[in-house]
Amino acid sequence: MSNSYNWPVLPTSDSKLVTIVVDGVEAQVPEGTNLVEALKTIGIETPHFCYHPDLPVAGNCRQCMVETEGPRGMALSIACYTPVRAGMKVATDKSSDKVRTARKAVMEFQLANHPLDCPICDKAGECTLQENYMAADRQPSRMREEIGKRYKGSPDHRHLDSKGQDRGGKHVDLGPAVVLDEERCILCDRCVRFMRDVAGSEQLYIASRGDHSFISTFPDQPLDHEYDLNVTDVCPVGALTGKHFRFQQRVWLLGKTETVDPTDGLGANITVEHHDGHAWRIMPRRNPEVNKSWIANSSRLAYLRLSEDRLTAGLFGRSEVPLAQAVSRLGELVRGARKVALVASGHLTLEDNAALLAWAQILGPRAEVFGGSWLWVGSPDGIARSGDPVPNRNGLKLLGIPDSLDELRARVGEFDVLVVVGNDLWTANASKAASLEKIPERIALSSWSDATVQASTLAIGIRAWAEVRGTMVNVAGRIQLLNAAPILPSPDLEPAWQVLSAAGKLGWTSELDAFRFAQSRIPSLVGLTYRTIGPQGRNLAGAAT
Amino acid sequence: MSHCHTKVDQPHASEILPKLETPRVLSKVEELVRRYPVPKAALLPVLWVAQETLGWLPQEAIRWAAGKCKVSPVHAYGVSLFYTMYKKEPTGRFFVQICQNVSCHILGAEGIIAHAEKTLGVSSHGGTTEDGLFTLLRVECLGACGNGPVLQINDDFATDVVDGRLAMPEGVALTPERFDRIAAWCRKRAAELPVEPSRDVLGGLFETHGHPGAVGSTNEPQKPGYAPAPPVLGLAAARTEDGKVKLTWRAAPESAQLHLETRAGTGDFSALATIPGKDKDWTGDLSVGTEVRILAQSGERRAKPSNVVKVEA
Amino acid sequence: MATLTVTQNFGKGAADISVYRSLGGYASLGPRLFDLSQFELIDLVTRSGLRGRGGAGFPTGMKWSFVPRNTPKPVYLVVNADEGEPGTFKDHVLMLEDPHRLIEGMIACGWALGVRTAYIYVRGEFLKAIETLNAALKQAYEAGILGENILGSGYSLDIYVHRGAGAYICGEETALINSLEGYKGQPRLKPPFPAVSGAWASPTCVNNVETLMALPWILEHGPAAYSALGTPKSGGTKVFSVSGDVKRPGVYEIPLGTPLLEFLESPEWCQGVLGTLKGVIPGGSSSPVLTAEESAKANMDYESLASLKSMLGSGAVIAFNDTRSAVGMLASLTRFYAHESCGQCTPCREGTGYADRILKAIVRGEGRDGDLDTMLDLAANFSYTTICPLAIADAWPIENFIGKFRSEFDALLASNAGHADSRVTSDFRPGAFW
Repeated sequence: MSNSYNWPVLPTSDSKLVTIVVDGVEAQVPEGTNLVEALKTIGIETPHFCYHPDLPVAGNCRQCMVETEGPRGMALSIACYTPVRAGMKVATDKSSDKVRTARKAVMEFQLANHPLDCPICDKAGECTLQENYMAADRQPSRMREEIGKRYKGSPDHRHLDSKGQDRGGKHVDLGPAVVLDEERCILCDRCVRFMRDVAGSEQLYIASRGDHSFISTFPDQPLDHEYDLNVTDVCPVGALTGKHFRFQQRVWLLGKTETVDPTDGLGANITVEHHDGHAWRIMPRRNPEVNKSWIANSSRLAYLRLSEDRLTAGLFGRSEVPLAQAVSRLGELVRGARKVALVASGHLTLEDNAALLAWAQILGPRAEVFGGSWLWVGSPDGIARSGDPVPNRNGLKLLGIPDSLDELRARVGEFDVLVVVGNDLWTANASKAASLEKIPERIALSSWSDATVQASTLAIGIRAWAEVRGTMVNVAGRIQLLNAAPILPSPDLEPAWQVLSAAGKLGWTSELDAFRFAQSRIPSLVGLTYRTIGPQGRNLAGAAT
Repeated sequence: MSHCHTKVDQPHASEILPKLETPRVLSKVEELVRRYPVPKAALLPVLWVAQETLGWLPQEAIRWAAGKCKVSPVHAYGVSLFYTMYKKEPTGRFFVQICQNVSCHILGAEGIIAHAEKTLGVSSHGGTTEDGLFTLLRVECLGACGNGPVLQINDDFATDVVDGRLAMPEGVALTPERFDRIAAWCRKRAAELPVEPSRDVLGGLFETHGHPGAVGSTNEPQKPGYAPAPPVLGLAAARTEDGKVKLTWRAAPESAQLHLETRAGTGDFSALATIPGKDKDWTGDLSVGTEVRILAQSGERRAKPSNVVKVEA
Repeated sequence: MATLTVTQNFGKGAADISVYRSLGGYASLGPRLFDLSQFELIDLVTRSGLRGRGGAGFPTGMKWSFVPRNTPKPVYLVVNADEGEPGTFKDHVLMLEDPHRLIEGMIACGWALGVRTAYIYVRGEFLKAIETLNAALKQAYEAGILGENILGSGYSLDIYVHRGAGAYICGEETALINSLEGYKGQPRLKPPFPAVSGAWASPTCVNNVETLMALPWILEHGPAAYSALGTPKSGGTKVFSVSGDVKRPGVYEIPLGTPLLEFLESPEWCQGVLGTLKGVIPGGSSSPVLTAEESAKANMDYESLASLKSMLGSGAVIAFNDTRSAVGMLASLTRFYAHESCGQCTPCREGTGYADRILKAIVRGEGRDGDLDTMLDLAANFSYTTICPLAIADAWPIENFIGKFRSEFDALLASNAGHADSRVTSDFRPGAFW
């Protein structure tokens, strides 16, 4: 079908600019892109439902109407499928009555069969239909009871209620992750295109036709895919919702913190959404060069672990001790040691690992830094996962920390203190890690009460990935920024770099000190600041694996 | 049947697949898949074959068709629900469709539908009689408006019974009396024949060699010999004033390459020159008695040779 | 007796190849066709003035000239025999009566465009026509008229019949291509047009049955003779399918430009109207209806009907007399378009159903003042905002039936006791679907 070929042309930093006339005013826009994207570059938002920059163009919602000049004068066309040509004349709703009427009309059609129950809809607050209604329509309904609305669900879900009204199609269990409310669907086809053209597994389809079309999986076959929760993001209305977030929070209450995916080496850009000290969900954050608009379900559900099984204090043997006491004990143990093995972690930021290096530098030859991971490395899926479960492996490499866990195992007899920072060796490979238990003093810094903590003699709770500010370098050598969301399970928790700074008496007061230390080790970081890295990250020269 | 409005009990795959995986059905499917450049295109006809075999389209048959056409099951499901002629639930032996669209409407279709509902005792929105003989459905235009109001029984138009057969004689429209005759004919047939003989829903599918070349190559260049370039026509040779030979011809496609070939006597033709297709003549030295022809070539595709001309004195 | 270019073999049993040949069939498959170059043949068709007979009336020669010459991809010919427009049944009869003429026309078109594989997409309801076509194709293959190296010409063509499965929208050419490819029959965004990227992303020519069946006559008698048959701007003859209140409904071929009333009254053709003529739908259900006065001014050609703001369309003439209710006719048309909307783009999907439900309420006697204006407003809003013309095909009947027979609609509204009630939205009973 044609829309499989119609991937939108998006503006890039080196797009050629051409002059077009928008509402009678000349403007410079990238050539060849569609008008939705081009108008966005000059600050004009075009309302739409079906268009999505990372999906093929379907052109079926007809909301993005503009007028363009054709052979027969100005005529309505859809902005998402009209490419920019030099000199073209475009009229938007600001100057054209026809465009205003068309957009208003499409809104009326969209709402003709859509329920008007926003107050009980989970999508309210982030619903494209609501937004476009407020922008383009706000007209009173002409619908009457005698005219009636269509039942819009699958015939399999249809039944008549006691008043003889068509019912059914509510909270249809589509699969392990997604729920469908059929009557809310506006048939924009985005989820179908996502599953077919991005996920590569056609599991959704619009069946039947006309105004009784409905979105469906094959009957009784679940929607089940590692990326299927993305359909809840692309759904412009409340038809597809994720079981993990459905009716958990009203979205306008949520604060948003931009960070990156901690579960994979690609570092998909995400937003942690939180309220009242809890993370409620993770949403993908569009980054055309990393993850487009997509994240895997496992990345999306990573927030659940932020409130599970956290280590919020120190553990000395089996007994809990205050964090401060545990940190000073860490310093004493390391300073009194004959030889210390410091194990860095690709799960922590550059800043945390820089602190480890700085301490090792103070300790001199009595300390040695090891790195790496025993986790199994898969292959990229071409969407938003590299297959490497270690998000900052490249950062360790840049800092000069070798992949040397097996060497540590071979030389285990040389050390009397082991410090493992945020690297769950015992879970990754219990049998290999068991040989490390020959080291008498084993100290673990960890966010969770994991197997490494269980195997250690002293454990110190640290902040988890969503609670720290710092940087990671992904598999493509792109440095990306993590930000701290206000969701600490205990106010006493500190980031790993701060624990290490306190124990090693580094005197660092902020992650910027740690970043500066990292810059001293990594030439390609010189000149960068958190501000210049920005929300979309920066490619580092020569850092790709 | 048209648009299904309620849940239908579905038979288990083990009841259906033995009926579909028969040599007769499989050879039809093989022929159908061969006719298109990609198997997906055979989906509609393969669904037809499944419906012919089972009488309707249970979900497992849709899944089976999807497998044969290498599409996802949900694609086949969505497609089958889009088209109204795939029956999503079993129907009676005689599937009676009466047109209610504009031409038939003005000539009294509503009255006939009401009559049919009354005589058969079922709803015209897909009701089936208790004896399982008739399913009555009002439908949109059937495409025989000249006989309106018009009726279709299974796949045959009928407005009357002529000589003991259903027929749609020119200009004969359906009336309540004719409807009764048709219904009586159906009952009589049901009494005589226990089972309605199966009808080839693809109208006499015959074996072909399928889609030659370019198999599965929707986005690949055409294969040599799949569709040759158009040939050069009307090749003629004439002497110019300075004694050279001028060849003229028609019809060479501008995008083609033209290969001039000559032979003296009865040997094989050998290449003389290659010229672009936009040239419309060629002048050069050729000895008397030489035979000339031109082959057009477009990409990898070669046309059949032009007519052969002999250079005269 | 007018000259017949398409239907001359009707009633002669030409579905059999020997009969067809004895009537002069397949005579073009020799020097007459194969000595023409692609350009010459396209030029010949252009000069004949032949226009697409499926509804839009696009000049056939120009359509063919859009198919690229130097493409590395295969070129497909798809015959549009998905005749679904209410009132239209000419292609059905043409295929039943003279399938070999269609095959001969397809070979000519195939030669002009370099086609190797062609499909005939036949409406699912026409099983009899499919049987006829398959039998004819089989005969043609056996006679060496199809397949490799047709009659020694070096040209090869395969033709397959593809049965549709019940969707009016598949008559739209890109929807037809999608359906042929095994998808839902939903129209595609344009550009690219099928001539450049159609079936399987290859250049594709989609032509109506009747268009192709005119080609053998044009090849035999020349383009000038064909264009001389019609009016200066509408060349040739056209097959009309007549239904409704006429004495002899059926399929008739007449020269373009014949006055409409002459056609309806002529003893040779329709033999007169039953009752008093109230109006005529001249070109299939979507063409704007003509009142009796307008019908008197109409000639059956593209220009005359366009000047009356209607159209020739597919040539389906539906005449109706003064006992027929305009409301009922419009109700059956809006129901049809709501039923046949493919559901792809919003204005048509929701708008055709919305308009249909309003009219149903009016017919039930639940209409209120302003409902007609709402319908007209909806019709204006779903015209020209959709991917394909189906919504316009619904809008035209709504606008013209209400515009030309408004008093009937108003009378029905007035029969509702509460017709003047204001439509206050806050009165609505809340519910899941509200």
